[in-house]
Amino acid sequence: MIFVKNLHKSFGKLEVLKGIDCHVHEKEVVVVIGPSGSGKSTFLRCLNKLEEPTSGEIIVDGIPLNSEVNVNAIRREVGMVFQRFNLFPHMTAIQNIVLAPEVVRKTNKEEARKIGLELLAKVGLYDKADEYPDRLSGGQQQRVAIARALAMKPKIMLFDETTSALDPEMVGEVLAVMKDLAREGMTMVVVTHEMGFAREVGDRVIFMDEGIIMEEGEPNEVFANPKNPRTKVFLSKIL
Amino acid sequence: MNWHVVVDNMPILAKGALLTLELTAGAVAIGVVIGLFMALARLSKHKVVRAGAIAYIDFFRGTPLLVQIFLVYFGIPMLLKWQTMPDNYQYTAGILAMGLNSGAYIAEIFRAGIQSIDRGQSEAARSLGMTQAQALRYVILPQAFKRTIPPLGNEFIALLKDSSLLSIIAIQELFYTGKIIVGRTYQPLPMYMAVALYYLVMTQLIAQWVAYMERRLGKNDLR
Repeated sequence: MIFVKNLHKSFGKLEVLKGIDCHVHEKEVVVVIGPSGSGKSTFLRCLNKLEEPTSGEIIVDGIPLNSEVNVNAIRREVGMVFQRFNLFPHMTAIQNIVLAPEVVRKTNKEEARKIGLELLAKVGLYDKADEYPDRLSGGQQQRVAIARALAMKPKIMLFDETTSALDPEMVGEVLAVMKDLAREGMTMVVVTHEMGFAREVGDRVIFMDEGIIMEEGEPNEVFANPKNPRTKVFLSKIL
Repeated sequence: MNWHVVVDNMPILAKGALLTLELTAGAVAIGVVIGLFMALARLSKHKVVRAGAIAYIDFFRGTPLLVQIFLVYFGIPMLLKWQTMPDNYQYTAGILAMGLNSGAYIAEIFRAGIQSIDRGQSEAARSLGMTQAQALRYVILPQAFKRTIPPLGNEFIALLKDSSLLSIIAIQELFYTGKIIVGRTYQPLPMYMAVALYYLVMTQLIAQWVAYMERRLGKNDLR
């Protein structure tokens, strides 16, 4: 589904990604962990080209990310959820959700609304359809953001520290939605600090540090017997 | 001091004031269109487009409006090699000069508004597959526009006052009308006070309208 080869990314002189090779299979849930500044968010953002890679090859769903046309095509198939929700504040929950299907997919209004309400029901916010984002809690906003991404019927979902900006009591409701998605067979790449989620839902864990993949493997294996000393240090700090 | 002069000439002054409003409205319309266009050009990825917008803004912001009025009024007929000026050409030239000038200021207002919108907004829009134009139209500009209302109000007020400069090309707007009456009556103090009052009323109207727009948009969905 996602194929990454020798991906490099520099911001000016700072090299953030130093050669990432990675393959994500269909219906796989890959959890990316690592300390801040390890490049995990940048890696994720390269996958739908919110960041322009300095060099390397990325192929998503068979389409190489090498032109503007391809990038827009891929973004339609790849949903992304952000740390800071990024809901459109001038639109209600349902308007946030139907905008892209209407504008990009040219779905007609009734159909888009129907799908939007179904998705809101799915994330437990059917009754909040007409609320503006600032009337919603962080957890609710993030669930709307997930519904918004799902409205495009993506084949892949990218989650960029989706629970890091939330109050602790709201983390659970967002993770629950993500778990449901994983169970339904969505292909997911999840950057997170939630090790419980990684262990429970992840098919594979990737540990990144200093711009490279230090270790990867099955979650239980990585958490129980980390092979790389850096992984050990990182896990000992957060577990 | 002869206040009768003011009372007697109220209707003529009102006519001048109306023309002032019309000139300003025309210039605002041109200015907003140019401003939006130039703001987007100024933020373009393409160097040449950006440089063009910067040159435009620098020129019209960096030279006096009075000079620009003359440049347009006398320059266009020369460039187009007109033998005579068409009737009422001064209105066209006046509105155009003010619109061109205002476009530069409004461009900067729009640019600031667009740049004040969190980058996450356009990233969210783009990540949903929207093109840059779609992201601008549905996500960025509606939010940016609300934030530009107060500075836009300032610009409209400034423009209305600056329209008095158009008297120099014999457009009978408010100030010109006042000047003519003074020439006839030799009552500068009451007449110019009346002129000032007319301007004040009009700028107040704009200020009130801006405040109203701010409240209305703010209540519904400026979040």
